[in-house]
Amino acid sequence: MIWLTLVLMAMIVFISRYLFLEPKLPLRLHKNTLQFLSYAAPAVLTAIIAPLVLVKDEALYLSINNNYLVGAVIACLLAHFTRNTLLTVLLSMGIFFFIL
Amino acid sequence: MQSHHKSLWQGLVATLPLSIAVIPWGILAGSYAIDVGLTGLQSQIMSIIIFAGAAQLVALGMIKAGIGLTSILLTTLLITSRHLLYGMTLRKDISPLPLKWRLSLGFLLTDELFAIVTTNKQHKFDRWYALGGGLSFYIFWNIAALVGIVAGKSIPNMEHMGLDFAIAATFIALIIPMVKAKSILVCVLVSMVSAVICSLYQIDIGLIISALIGMASGTLYAKVTGEAL
Repeated sequence: MIWLTLVLMAMIVFISRYLFLEPKLPLRLHKNTLQFLSYAAPAVLTAIIAPLVLVKDEALYLSINNNYLVGAVIACLLAHFTRNTLLTVLLSMGIFFFIL
Repeated sequence: MQSHHKSLWQGLVATLPLSIAVIPWGILAGSYAIDVGLTGLQSQIMSIIIFAGAAQLVALGMIKAGIGLTSILLTTLLITSRHLLYGMTLRKDISPLPLKWRLSLGFLLTDELFAIVTTNKQHKFDRWYALGGGLSFYIFWNIAALVGIVAGKSIPNMEHMGLDFAIAATFIALIIPMVKAKSILVCVLVSMVSAVICSLYQIDIGLIISALIGMASGTLYAKVTGEAL
């Protein structure tokens, strides 16, 4: 049963990644659609992490005691001022795990 | 050939911060699989053939809770549906490539790879760069999973150590440099507010709904203000 679950999951994940890369799939994207899609990366990444940072136990957690929020703000500042991905990731993780 | 190696290497280097940040997650995916009761082989194969952190961890939680296969697969579909957007976005670049390239890059198409490839626009799309980024990330992920599998249950309560902050930090490091126009800021803010609201109301498809609303808001803002991207 575990094997079946793993194989079927792998198929679902792969198909979702590959589907629109298949040239035989009849789909022509309009200029407007392409512009819409150009926002996919920031939109999806934000939607993934926002609840992680701002929600705890099904409630909005806007507090200085929320380590995730403080850490995220620090990461935003680091990313904005250094423009260095590695530095941002390492430094904000270091601060989060060892100081906050 | 020389320039292929160079692109491959550049892709690897650009992905390195993300690869480092994914190590704790990989370890967690490995050790959690053992904790749930998968064999070592199953645990490693899971990371090798699925290669999707969020889907793997959620599925493991569901297996542990004794939830049925259909629910696990539907949840996987829900979590992974964002990749449809990535595929659509990269369609113009990847669909003309030969089959082996489409299959490889398709298989390697994670959030991280998508971010790396789409922010590398100054060089246009480079298949070798994408492959370098995707492959190195894949190798990091699987080695981390192996470490987690070997450590197994000796890693106590890793779920509660705040490892998800690594994901938040990584994605923030990716998102901030992307915000090069007001419309993108609008997109990010709307997506954030929507995702929080969906989370508060426990709407399962909140992620994809919020992404779409954010994308629509950004597009609309650019159209209304006549912003040139």
